[in-house]
Amino acid sequence: MKDKKNLTTEINPEIRDILIEMGAEDIYKCYQCGKCTSVCPWFQVEIYDYPVFKFSLETALGVVASSEDKKELDKEIELIYRCVGCEACLEQCPHGISTPNILRAARRLLVDFDSYPETLKSTVQKTHNVGNPFGEHRENRADWAKGLNVLDYQQGMEFLYFPCCLPAYETRNQKVAQATVGVLQKCEVSFGILGVKETCCGEVIRRIGAEDIFKEVAKANIKEFKDSGVKEVLVTSPHCFTTFKNEYPDFGADFEVLHTTQYFSHLIDTGKLKLNKNFDKKVVYHDPCTLGRKNNIYEEPRNILKNIPGLELLEVENFNRSLSLCCGAGSGGLWLEWEKDERIVNVRLKQLTDTGADIIAVACPYCLQMFEETLKSMDVNIKVMDISEIIFECL
Amino acid sequence: MKKIGVFVCHCGRNISSTVNIDEVVEEIKKYPGVALCTDYKYMCSDPGQDLIKKNIQDKKLDGIVIAACSPSLHELTFRNTAVKVGLNPYLTEIANIREQCSWVHSEIKEATPKAISIIESIIEKTKLNESLAPVKVKVNPKALVIGGGIAGIQASLDIANSGHKVILIEKSPSIGGRMAQLSETFPTLDCSQCILTPKMVEVSQHENISLFVYSELEEISGSVGNFKIKIRKKASCVDNNKCTGCGVCSEKCPVSVDSEFDEGMGKRKAIYTPFPQAIPNKPVIDKENCTYFSKDGKCGVCQIVCTLNAIDFDQKDEIVEEEVGAIVIATGYELYPMENMIEYGAGEYPDVINGLQFERLLSASGPTQGEIHRTSDNKIPKRIAFISCVGSRDPEHHLPYCSKICCMYMVKHALLYKEHVPDGEAIVFSIDIRTSGKDYEEFLTRAKEEGNILYIRGKPARIIKQGNDLVVWCINTLTGKQHRVKCDMVVLSMSMVPSSGALDLAKALRIHTNDFGFFTEAHPKLRPVESLVPGFYLAGTAQGPKDIPDTVSQASGAAAKVLTLFSSDEISHSPIIASVNEDLCSGCGICIATCPYDAREMDERKKIVSVNEILCEGCGACISACPSGASQQKNLTDNQIDNMISVLLHSNTKALERE
Ligand SMILES: Cc1cc2nc3c(=O)[nH]c(=O)nc-3n(C[C@H](O)[C@H](O)[C@H](O)COP(=O)(O)OP(=O)(O)OC[C@H]3O[C@@H](n4cnc5c(N)ncnc54)[C@H](O)[C@@H]3O)c2cc1C
Ligand code: SF4
Ligand code: SF4
Ligand code: SF4
Ligand code: SF4
Repeated sequence: MKDKKNLTTEINPEIRDILIEMGAEDIYKCYQCGKCTSVCPWFQVEIYDYPVFKFSLETALGVVASSEDKKELDKEIELIYRCVGCEACLEQCPHGISTPNILRAARRLLVDFDSYPETLKSTVQKTHNVGNPFGEHRENRADWAKGLNVLDYQQGMEFLYFPCCLPAYETRNQKVAQATVGVLQKCEVSFGILGVKETCCGEVIRRIGAEDIFKEVAKANIKEFKDSGVKEVLVTSPHCFTTFKNEYPDFGADFEVLHTTQYFSHLIDTGKLKLNKNFDKKVVYHDPCTLGRKNNIYEEPRNILKNIPGLELLEVENFNRSLSLCCGAGSGGLWLEWEKDERIVNVRLKQLTDTGADIIAVACPYCLQMFEETLKSMDVNIKVMDISEIIFECL
Repeated sequence: MKKIGVFVCHCGRNISSTVNIDEVVEEIKKYPGVALCTDYKYMCSDPGQDLIKKNIQDKKLDGIVIAACSPSLHELTFRNTAVKVGLNPYLTEIANIREQCSWVHSEIKEATPKAISIIESIIEKTKLNESLAPVKVKVNPKALVIGGGIAGIQASLDIANSGHKVILIEKSPSIGGRMAQLSETFPTLDCSQCILTPKMVEVSQHENISLFVYSELEEISGSVGNFKIKIRKKASCVDNNKCTGCGVCSEKCPVSVDSEFDEGMGKRKAIYTPFPQAIPNKPVIDKENCTYFSKDGKCGVCQIVCTLNAIDFDQKDEIVEEEVGAIVIATGYELYPMENMIEYGAGEYPDVINGLQFERLLSASGPTQGEIHRTSDNKIPKRIAFISCVGSRDPEHHLPYCSKICCMYMVKHALLYKEHVPDGEAIVFSIDIRTSGKDYEEFLTRAKEEGNILYIRGKPARIIKQGNDLVVWCINTLTGKQHRVKCDMVVLSMSMVPSSGALDLAKALRIHTNDFGFFTEAHPKLRPVESLVPGFYLAGTAQGPKDIPDTVSQASGAAAKVLTLFSSDEISHSPIIASVNEDLCSGCGICIATCPYDAREMDERKKIVSVNEILCEGCGACISACPSGASQQKNLTDNQIDNMISVLLHSNTKALERE
């Protein structure tokens, strides 16, 4: 008789224990209600089935990326890397189970075995080698600030301004860093930058699963900040924000972190930032997952927009604040290509454009990048701007 | 000096496997004052008790220590044993060497000396114990029942039918509670009001029941057997002696607001009886909405139309004082607010409603006369989604517990909906359907088969409004398939929470609730209808989520406990209470302010403080507050405690030296 295919799944306690060790400790709490699955952005990409509710159960069984068949295995790896870490599932899960953490444990295992997507391998290597995920030269890191009179950070300054790799290198995003600096200078805030000494915060490589390299990067950054006497960091990216604020303390960091929307909102409330020009536009605000769900910053960006003369603030019905939909760029998503009708960003852009807004206001370089790239191929009359850019225009 | 006997129990192997009994007996025999020490396998068994009795008589013991399990288990047993041979019960003490020693250690080396020192310290206590007699308290055989739902109704009737007086207070204008709001009841589908209203009428006609509706407990003092209470009767602005309940006032009243009884699905007037079968059938004026009160003196229509002159705008709240011996708490439940479920648009979308609202739609006497119409456009819904566990079983955002009844009423709702709208489709979304009651699983099977009801296993994440339709987003975790189910209406099975005000009531009564405000029973298995504080009994959903059969059983159980209390004229109260040494008391009065039971009073003639033995609960607060040492707990005096502590410290030093 020919070999029969064995359909019995063996429970693999060793793999399970390793994954728990790597951060999948929530798995036993899951009662398979599936709420995570229908709130996940992939649910809204209607043609794609993303089985979020299975991850905790499969991890508990130790059957993660366990297929013997190469094709099957690739499919499993793809599933593990689909998650954009938006935490919509965590926000709704009755037991507070973090599926992105469970998947991150699986990713750590895959990175250890070097079997993860090639584009992400290159992201990790570039970050390791030159301090940014794009492989750009270190010497060019401060080019965006040329001619703007931005000082190098010195002890005693109020803030270190940390722009994030996208605003440092990418042309569209550079305008955000430039606008931010413009607003700070107008308000006579004392701040400086690290310039060529600056290195990626490491958020994305940690989400990709390259834990060891992340730790190396984090420790080096913390040392650099300490050596420069940094007490408070002002950031443009919610990803730097959450990493510095919630993750670096585990490795000895003790500096304060502020997101630009928090600081600018404060400057407006205290009368230090005056918005004089009108901005007669309909603006819809897109809550970045990492600023909103992860860090509960929902009102400051709205407070800024409400204070801009002439601006009409719109909301995406059903999908704002904690119920906002991801742009699709998180946890490595920016570097991964999916079939055209399988992209989260298209769903989100449709929701945003359906509001009838002229402008999409964002507060995250990843969202900006993702939306700009996608809008290029869409025939819609809408612009994307970072909140800092809108403020800068109204000074 | 006393002759003390010590009896060491092995408790099978519960104690003897970690405590070396022989060594204990040898050591204790040498202890000063010990006339005898012996051991036995089960001291609580008949032969064990005989051994104790025999030795008390033979050795003429005047104090005994039983080294065994916790006093909460067998203190009473051994005291009764000793009493049989003439030893005062308060000369028998328990040294707990099981829960406090053998069970919490694994090394004989450690447990044995610890057992010895526990026993020695109790010997020291026993040496200074006095013979005491229980304090006798007269019992007032009249009960107070708080809350007039089915629980309060059943408890009141059971107590009243056995010939005792009952005061039943209900905060709303009528008794009946939630059960009056229900349409038909699972698992038998009998009409809720049809089985409830006869009981309501019986309450109102019962000669032993005084009913106070629109009333709340204002103040309480005293303790088991003798409580003094004040009841606030809220002004209804209707003279019930004149009013015949004709209802012409309500008919003519121009102010119409959402009806609480109809859960906002229907309207009522500013002067209203909550429902046609209300008991008593007398209206009340809701002062907040009545224009006479809110727009100083305008309107007055009801007064004009009432030919019996029953409307009295000047009526004031009335305080009624009463005395009772026992209190049954039956304050019921509410539903967790829908507004907390933002992902379901609940509280915002008119066609997303809760279970009680759906009951009102189903009810033949409800605002739609039993026809199901949706709020937004009055259309008959052709597809309804029923969602389970909304707010329940969600420790992260809402409530961790299972509300126990929602699965069943969801099954019922789906079936009744199909009966009302035969061409409609009922879809139940659930994690699992819990049917652990008599005939419940059979009811589910019947409902599934008769109603052709679709069950989807999964908790929806979102309800999105599209025009007038509601789209339920869900995944079926059995098939792994995504669903976007277009519905006309969604019914949420909201969790049960204690009725608002339960926490304040618990504070006023000084009894416990759990973290969520449900009243706590004295023991989860063995004393489920009593509170930890004597004299308070629990009935119905005030104690935890439950259905009508369980509510009624518990109410009858609580009534039986009340009747046990009322079965004798007197109850005895532990004599282990506070006392005052008159020579030492300076009359500073600090203890008076400290006592939570108002048991201390100033003797104005002697200028010292005395203890009301009936009220004192022996909590000891006054003793630690007394600056002059005049205040002492009987059989737990400062001297006794000092001696016990020094024995323990001494044996600790001995143990250290040995090491
Ligand atoms: C949608 C729904 C459907 C249901 N269907 C069924 C069914 O089909 N079959 C079934 O067996 N069970 C059913 N139940 C459960 C049933 O409603 C309860 O088991 C029952 O009503 C509990 O009665 P109770 O007396 O404990 O509480 P309640 O009915 O809540 O009565 C408590 C009473 O106390 C009063 N009160 C509260 N606080 C005070 C205070 N401080 N002072 C004075 N009075 C106070 C309240 O006004 C109320 O009248 C259903 C429940 C729901 C939500
Ligand atoms: S984090 Fe976001 S993308 Fe990942 S599983 Fe959860 S909801 Fe889906
Ligand atoms: S929401 Fe939470 S409990 Fe429910 S299936 Fe997803 S991970 Fe499990
Ligand atoms: S005074 Fe007027 S508003 Fe008030 S209850 Fe009477 S009829 Fe209604
Ligand atoms: S022991 Fe003291 S505080 Fe406690 S009830 Fe008696 S008198 Fe009051």
